Amino acid sequence: MSRWLPKVYLALVYGLLYLPILVLVVFSFNRSRTGYSWDGLSLHWYQSLFNNHAMVQAMWNSLWLALAAATVSTLIGALTALALHRYRFRGKRVLNGMLFVVMMSPEIVLAISLLALFLLVGLQLGFVSLLLAHVTFCLPFVVITVMARLSGFDERLPEAARDLGASEFTMTRTVLIPVIAPALLAGWLLGFTLSLDDVVVSTFVSGPSYEILPLRIYSMVRVGLKPEVNALGTLLLVCSLMMLMLSQWILTRSKR
Amino acid sequence: MKKLALAGLLAVTLSGCGSDDQQVLNLYNWSEYMPQEVLDRFQEETGIRVVYTTYDSNEAMYARIKLLDDSGQYDLAVPSTYYVNKMRNEGLLTPIDHSKLSNYGQLDPELTNLNIDPDNAYSIPYLWGTTGLAYDASDVGEAPVTAWADLWKDDYSGRVMLTNDMREVFHIGLRVLGYSGNSTNPQEIEAAYNKLTELMPAVRTFNSDAPRMPYLEGETDIGMIWNGEAVMGKADMPSLEYVYPQEGVIVWLDSFVIPKNAKNVDAAHQFIDFVMRPDISALISEDIGYATPNLAAREQLDPAVANDRASYPTAVDLEQSEFQEDVGDEALQVYTKYWELLKAGR
Amino acid sequence: MHNSHRQPFRTAVLVLVWGWLLVLVLAPNLLVVGTSVLTRDPLSFLSLPLTLENYARLIDPLYLEVFLHSLYMAAVTTVCCLVIGYPFAWALSRLSKRQQTLLIFLLIVPFWTNSLVRTYALKLLLATNGLINNGLLAIGLIDEPLTLLYTELAVIIGLVYLLLPFMILPLYSVFEDLRDELLLASHDLGAGRWPTFIHVVVPLTLPGVLAGVLLVLLPAMGLFFVADILGGSRNLLVGNVIKSQFLDARDWPFGAAASVLLTAAMALLLFAHRLSRRRLGEEAEV
Repeated sequence: MSRWLPKVYLALVYGLLYLPILVLVVFSFNRSRTGYSWDGLSLHWYQSLFNNHAMVQAMWNSLWLALAAATVSTLIGALTALALHRYRFRGKRVLNGMLFVVMMSPEIVLAISLLALFLLVGLQLGFVSLLLAHVTFCLPFVVITVMARLSGFDERLPEAARDLGASEFTMTRTVLIPVIAPALLAGWLLGFTLSLDDVVVSTFVSGPSYEILPLRIYSMVRVGLKPEVNALGTLLLVCSLMMLMLSQWILTRSKR
Repeated sequence: MKKLALAGLLAVTLSGCGSDDQQVLNLYNWSEYMPQEVLDRFQEETGIRVVYTTYDSNEAMYARIKLLDDSGQYDLAVPSTYYVNKMRNEGLLTPIDHSKLSNYGQLDPELTNLNIDPDNAYSIPYLWGTTGLAYDASDVGEAPVTAWADLWKDDYSGRVMLTNDMREVFHIGLRVLGYSGNSTNPQEIEAAYNKLTELMPAVRTFNSDAPRMPYLEGETDIGMIWNGEAVMGKADMPSLEYVYPQEGVIVWLDSFVIPKNAKNVDAAHQFIDFVMRPDISALISEDIGYATPNLAAREQLDPAVANDRASYPTAVDLEQSEFQEDVGDEALQVYTKYWELLKAGR
Repeated sequence: MHNSHRQPFRTAVLVLVWGWLLVLVLAPNLLVVGTSVLTRDPLSFLSLPLTLENYARLIDPLYLEVFLHSLYMAAVTTVCCLVIGYPFAWALSRLSKRQQTLLIFLLIVPFWTNSLVRTYALKLLLATNGLINNGLLAIGLIDEPLTLLYTELAVIIGLVYLLLPFMILPLYSVFEDLRDELLLASHDLGAGRWPTFIHVVVPLTLPGVLAGVLLVLLPAMGLFFVADILGGSRNLLVGNVIKSQFLDARDWPFGAAASVLLTAAMALLLFAHRLSRRRLGEEAEV
């Protein structure tokens, strides 16, 4: 019994975690309008999703934003991790502390503080404000991912490269970057996910000129049951799974 | 090579957001308050794309417009009656250029030149409607529902819905006690608050995004609703009835306004005039169930809609009714305080 | 010679990193603290007289009740996550490495669907006409639909559902580090199952528990959209209060004070977390 009990328990919790997602996927093919009863198979909601211009526009906007936020945060995050790892400088602990605080502080606190900042400096709420905010909350996660990779790395290698006359920049490019490449990919994916999923921060720092998916979904969901949301959720799931598999594939290939 | 790709990606990303040479009109409106077809046809005829973003309360709209005041991101908004007055007094609006509006003359004289905005210098009526009682006839039993006071009956405990609108909710509290729904007297407002706290345990939810939905979802059986929502809801659930309560229904008028720093004032005028076209106004009224202030449009309406008492009330229905008015900042503070108390009280 | 080479790159990196964090993390947080001691102004947003009144209002019975209720829901959420997550993480750590990787991956997959969409899916399940009620009615367990949606319970279910992985992951990492030898040693020294659990397992996993609590308790007070969608605007979270003060009522100072309160709560929990790790470190050394 004691051998089986843990596995049954795991299966049970996974079942509960996946139940809503299963419902989502199944009902996205449901013809029924109310979303409570099964009226037969249909792709109607996918069609109406793609006919919804505002929705499609928001989808593209979200995608661009997530790509940009993940890329910028990976770039800055990797540099931060390298700096924390390689350099000794004053205030290192403060820097570490700030990153930790960003990671731990409730999103809503980050959201209003950034809103206050953007209003103070008169930045128009839109793509730029969203990008700055998203990069900020993705940053610590990238730093941690890259740091974890660097911590298991032989310190003598970069020193050797420097002794052989490579500049710091060349050394970073030829020695360190290849080492942290998998972590960069992982960090990028993490940033991409975080950005795509964010609701709280985006609610505060977005403007009508750049409407993104979560906010569109929010206004749809608040209005009531919308079967298009099921279709959208299913699409998001499929796309992200494909991306994940792709990254997995790249990783295993690069290891060989 | 990699750097090049990265730079390219960034360049594309950044250009992907800004360089939209298409003209865009940012419309800030209530949820589900305009059929998609109207926006599509407007784009077809003018080439201007309408970005429709939504809010669920006048307070949220007002806060957002003030927040984005300087960057002028909204070209049009649709505040209710008393907020037109407030925003106008605070200098948040751009004057309407009547020479750009060819269809203005068709509006009902009873709904233009009101004291909230003399000569409609800053606002153009969009739709008007009522907030009345809704109930699900299949669930509330025999007893007829005729008055706001019926909400306080024990039978409906846990099945009551209110709109998420401070003024509307206090309106019914005040009317049940026999006061004006536009009361500015702190004692009366407090009395209404006390009356409403008795109702609170029975209240299941507040909803101003789509007040018909809790009824359709089977979560609530009785409560407040906007007439257009009742009409839309009845199409999906025939047992949803709309009642003009004895104490008097709440009447409101929503108007287009152009925020002070709007970037696309011309397109905003174009859009207002487009909506005022009789065929478009009729289409809107038929589709979402609210009454159009456009007299020419009313003649074109489908008789089924024109004779629907929910959309177009008769004189009898409007007995005792009250038009929402601006109560002034001082009274508003009192309302806000009690509203917060009401919603926080558990 | 080295130094002259490395300076420009190093300086550039440090300036970029420091600049970003100072401008987008430190400055905004200071702004919020500053805002919280200003006075609300109906026309502009803020006006001068410095005041602590906003903090006084936090303990005004009206808001105190909301905060306590929010804290209560967040606490219940956290306890539920812990009760579900603790044995879960333990069971997970007993599996083979390959199975672990796969299952951790499965734990993260739901995050790839937007959290709003998942909350919405919960609504489909919990509604009066929803699947749970229909299912229970169909098999005859209940005669009348249960009232689930727009209740406190619905909000808690939503929060647990969204936050459970944040409890599991740190717990899993401490369980993974928990070496079997320690348990065996304890066993060999004659300790039974319970004493081993209480005196060895619990203290060693405490940092993971605290990390999990940190990752669940605070977001559980801030995720306003869960309360919006599932709570029917009757079961407010601190997040809803902050949001409405900023975006509806335009009372920034009060909203800022509430958010400072949340930050303070975070600091407290972080401190507890550190303390537990330090104590653990000392014990290990002794």
